[in-house]
Amino acid sequence: MIDRITSPLRAIWESLLERLFFLPPFPESIDSLALFSLLLVVGLLIGEWLHAHVRWPKVIGYVLAGILFGPSLLGWISIEALAQARPIADAALGLLMMEVGRRLDLSWLRRTPELLRSTFADITLSFALIFVFALWLVGLTPAWAAATAAVTMASAPAVVLLTIEEARAQGLVTERIILHTAIGSAASFVAFAFVLGIVHAELSEDWLNAIVHPLWVVAGALLVGGIGTWLALGIAKTLPKRSLAQVFVLVACALLAVGIARMLAVPVFLTLFLMGVLLASRDRQQTLRYTELPEGHWLLAIVLFVIVGASLPWQDFTWLAGLQALGLLLVRAAAKAGAMAWSGGSLPLPKRLLVGIGIQPLSATAVFMAYEIASLYPEVGRSALTLPLFAAAMMELVGPALCRLALQRSGECESGDRSRGGIA
Amino acid sequence: MTTKPLGDFKDSAAFSLGVELELQLVSKRDFDLTRGATDLLGSLDYDERFGEIKLEITESMIEISTLARPTVDGIAADLGGLRDTLREHCERNNIGVCGGGTHPFHHWPERRICPGDRFNELYQRYGYLAKQFTVFGQHIHVGCTSADDAIWLTQALGVYVPAFIALSASSPFVDGVDSFYQSARLNAVSAFPLSGQCPPLGSWQEFTEHFAFLQACGIAQGIKDLYWDVRPKPEFGTVELRVCDTPLTIEQATSLAALAQSLSRWLLRTRPPLHAAKQAHVARYNKFQACRYGLEAMISDPVDLCQIPLKQTLANLLKEVSEDARELDCAHWLSPLKQAVAENTGDAAWLRAREKQHGNLNDVVRDASERLMGKNNQIQEKTR
Repeated sequence: MIDRITSPLRAIWESLLERLFFLPPFPESIDSLALFSLLLVVGLLIGEWLHAHVRWPKVIGYVLAGILFGPSLLGWISIEALAQARPIADAALGLLMMEVGRRLDLSWLRRTPELLRSTFADITLSFALIFVFALWLVGLTPAWAAATAAVTMASAPAVVLLTIEEARAQGLVTERIILHTAIGSAASFVAFAFVLGIVHAELSEDWLNAIVHPLWVVAGALLVGGIGTWLALGIAKTLPKRSLAQVFVLVACALLAVGIARMLAVPVFLTLFLMGVLLASRDRQQTLRYTELPEGHWLLAIVLFVIVGASLPWQDFTWLAGLQALGLLLVRAAAKAGAMAWSGGSLPLPKRLLVGIGIQPLSATAVFMAYEIASLYPEVGRSALTLPLFAAAMMELVGPALCRLALQRSGECESGDRSRGGIA
Repeated sequence: MTTKPLGDFKDSAAFSLGVELELQLVSKRDFDLTRGATDLLGSLDYDERFGEIKLEITESMIEISTLARPTVDGIAADLGGLRDTLREHCERNNIGVCGGGTHPFHHWPERRICPGDRFNELYQRYGYLAKQFTVFGQHIHVGCTSADDAIWLTQALGVYVPAFIALSASSPFVDGVDSFYQSARLNAVSAFPLSGQCPPLGSWQEFTEHFAFLQACGIAQGIKDLYWDVRPKPEFGTVELRVCDTPLTIEQATSLAALAQSLSRWLLRTRPPLHAAKQAHVARYNKFQACRYGLEAMISDPVDLCQIPLKQTLANLLKEVSEDARELDCAHWLSPLKQAVAENTGDAAWLRAREKQHGNLNDVVRDASERLMGKNNQIQEKTR
C-alpha cells in the first residue's frame, strides 16, 4: 500500500534528479526521527480518543494503533521499520522496568509472611498450571512448555505502572499490585534464564551453550545493571537531591545500561529491572530514592506499545491458536486469583481478588522474552511460541482494562466512583 | 437543615483526661502522604483496649483517641499502646505513620475524602477547604464535674491558647516551603467560618442560649460545627482544647496533656478573674503571635495594657501549676516542657534542623516518622 502511494512520487523525484543535482537519491526508508514522531502521533491520537470516548486505558489505544498500522493489517509499519525502532522500544521498556525494580520493596515482604506466601503461591501456581496446560492440553514439548510458562507467568510491569500512573491510584490494593508484579517479573526472569539452557539442551544438545548462555544472561545483566547503579549513585551523590540534574543522571545511566546490554546481547528488560532493584537496595543515603522519572517517559511508552502492537503476529492467527491462548489466559487467571484468595496479608478477600485482577496484564516483557527465546532457533522457535504470543496479543487489549477495573473497584483512583471509597 | 439538640452536660470525674491525635499516613517510598485509611481500618483486628483508632476527613489521615483516664500516666500508656498497634498494622501494609501539624510537601488536590455521610456533607459544605483541612492536631479533653465549671474553664483556658500553640508547634512547612510560622496548621483551620474563640459566656445557661441562637440562624447544626479553640463537649462532660499541633512524639503529646490537666486544676482552684470581654479583643492577635513566632511570641495583655514575652509567661505558669501537677502525680511530665521553654527548642525547630541537614523534605518526613515510632531518640536527644 505504501508502495502505491510512493511510486508516483518516486517517479517525479527521479525525473527531477536529472536536472537538480543537489537532490539526494529518493529515500528508501523513513528517517528514524520521523518514524518516532509518526508512531508517537498515531499512538497518541488513538489512545487519547479511546480514553476520552470510551474511558479505556490509553495503553490499549497505543497497542491498537500498532496492530492497525503494523505488518498484520495495513502494513504501514514494516518489519524493517520495527527493527529500526527497536532501540526506542528498548529504551522505553528499560526505563519502565527500572522503575518497577526501584519499587520492589523486599523489606515489606520480609516482615509480612502472609505476603511472602501469596507471592510464592502466585509464582509457583502460575508457572505450574501454565506449564501443565501447555504440555498436556496443547501438546508442546517440555522445553517449549517451560518457555511458555516462563514468558507468561508474570504480570506486565509496564502496563501496570502506566495504568496506575494514568489513574493516579494510591492505596493498599495498588501497592500490592505493584509488589506482586515486581516479584512475579523477578521470578519469570529467573525462569527465563533456566529455560534458555533447557531450550539449548533440547534443540541442539549443545551443553556448553546450555550452561553458559543462562549464566551470560544473568551475570551480564547483573554486571551491566550494577555498573549503571554504581555510576548513577556515584554521580548523583554530588548533586542536590531531587534536582533536575539528578533526573538527567538517572535517565542517562539507564540509557547507558540499555546500550551496553544491547551490545552484549543481554536482555534489556532483565538488566534494567536489576538496575532498579540495585538502585533501591544500595541507595542507603536516599541519594536517588525520591528522584522520579520525568513525565516525558510517557512519550517513549507510547512508542513502545505501538511497536509491541505492531510486533504481534496476528497474521498467523488461527481459531485453534486463539482458543489455546484463551485457555492459557483462563488457567493463568485462575492461578493468580487462587493465590490471592489463599493468602494476601491483612486485606479482606474481595480486595485480595481485586489484586488478582489487577495483576492479569501480559504485555511487552512477555513479547520481548518470547522473541528473545524464539530468536535462538528461529526455524522452530517462532511457531513453538505462538501460544504465549497470542496470549500476550489478547491480553494487550484486555489486560490494561482489567488492571484499571481493579483500581476503580478498589476505590483507589484519584477520580473514581464515590460509593466505592469516598470522594476524589 | 437537620439540627442536633445539644443535650445535657454529662458530668465526669474532675480533671479526668482524654487525648486525640490526628496522624499522617505516609508512603514508605517517598514519604509523601498516601491514601488508604479506610482499608487500613477495615482490616484492623484490634479490641480497643487503649482507645479508638478512627477515620478522619481524608484518606491520608487517621485519628487515635485514648480512653478517659484519671492520670497522665494512663494517657501515656494508652498513647503508647495505640501507637504500637498502629505501627504493627501499618508495617504489614507498608505504610508509615508520622506526627507533625502539617505534611511538609503534600499536594492537597490529591487528597481524597473518606466515605461516610458526615465527611461527604463537610465536603459539600466547605468544598476545597475540606481537602485543605488535611492538617493534624492534638485535642485534649479535661473532665469537669459540672456544666457551669465547663463553661468557666472554656473561658479561662482561652487565655492560655498561645501557650499551647507555642509548646506544640510542629508545622513550619507547607506546600514544600518554609512558611516562617512555627505552627502553620491553624491557618488552615481559621478559614472555617465557625473557627475562633468561644464568645464571653458566663454559664451553661448562657451557652445553651447562644447555641440555640446559632442553630436558629442556621449557622450550626451540632456542637461539632463549632471549630472553637476551646469548646465544651457535653456528651463527654469535658472541655476540649483543640489548638495543639500533633507533636512529633507521643511523649510531647502526653506532656501537653499534663499541662492541660494541671492548669485546669490550678484555674478551677484559684479562680483568677477572667476579663473575658477584654481578652476577646486580643485573642486573635495573640494566637497569630504564637503561630508565627512560637516561644518568641509577644503576648498582649488587655488588662495591664502591655506586651509580655510568651516565654516569660510560660516559665511563670509552669512554676505556678507545679503544686497542682504534684497533686495530680504528673509533675514529671512537665519537666520536658520546662526544658523546652528554657532552651527555646521545640518540634518546629527540630523539623527545620532536619531540613537543613538533608536539604530535602522527604528525608525530614522519614526522620519524623521514625521519631514518632521511637526509632531515633538519639537524633531527638541530640537536637534537644
